[in-house]
Amino acid sequence: MDPQSHNTGSDEARLDALFQAYRAACPDPEPSANFMPLLWQGIEARQNVSIVFSRLARNLMTAALALSILLGLVVSFSGSRVGQLPSESYVEVLADEHYSQTLDYDDPVHISPAVEQR
Amino acid sequence: MLVDYELIRRAREGDGPAFNELVAAYRKRILGTIARLIGRPEDVEDVGQEVFLRLYYSLDQLRSAEVFEPWLYRLTANAAYDYLRKRRRRLESRMADLSEQQVVLADAAAGEKVDRDEGQKKRIREAVDALLDRVSEEDRVLLTLKEVEGLSLKELGEIYHVKENALKVRLFRARQRVLKAFTAARKTAAGVSSSR
Repeated sequence: MDPQSHNTGSDEARLDALFQAYRAACPDPEPSANFMPLLWQGIEARQNVSIVFSRLARNLMTAALALSILLGLVVSFSGSRVGQLPSESYVEVLADEHYSQTLDYDDPVHISPAVEQR
Repeated sequence: MLVDYELIRRAREGDGPAFNELVAAYRKRILGTIARLIGRPEDVEDVGQEVFLRLYYSLDQLRSAEVFEPWLYRLTANAAYDYLRKRRRRLESRMADLSEQQVVLADAAAGEKVDRDEGQKKRIREAVDALLDRVSEEDRVLLTLKEVEGLSLKELGEIYHVKENALKVRLFRARQRVLKAFTAARKTAAGVSSSR
């Protein structure tokens, strides 16, 4: 038999024994008297953090809603003023003005024919 | 199962006394598993608190009461893994601490059938802790659950949601690495003692 493999086999068994000894050296510990109170403290502390975050999120949402309502009001108010402004485009306004200006010269120009002087 | 399904269902619905009962039923077993997974008795209770805190906040995600135990073991393995990773970041690898003498003493103590005193237990804990530091935190947790806790491949498969064959390969590699370190430590110690 190969002495190397024999050694490995023996080491395998020794390692198994060491693991078993380790199990015995680490028995199930008795929980301390304040295990449950500490656990509930931890649970409540985490709940408080989540409550703070949810309040913060709620406040942010309310602020965003108020801001959007305000912006909506501003837009609708400025929209009503927009109605008072001319609806035509700048070019159309110019064209209209140009038309009214040309009206001044709308009458046909009558050029009396020159009288021939004989 | 240490408790009935009805208790788990009540705890899942937010019943505080039912949750207390659930923790009381499992805490000793879970603290024991943590003690062997992390190898530091002084930190066991802190990790245990973390496990049950995670349990409280994730109970509503539990699919059914039947899978409660593997699921609790999964939370335990994850919390131990997180602790070991943080510890490795804090400390340098304990490889240098693994004196050959320590392993030989632990090996000798492991072979004795008599009741071990606290000193021997401490030596065994330190030697196994140092040996397990040779593998990654994930493999350490897996190997401890298999070799020390005695969980079967089927149980490990339920905890990790991994196929048994994949677990077998991983466990074999991790064990080989630990065995190699163990053999090397014993050989060196034998060499040192024969040269004296």
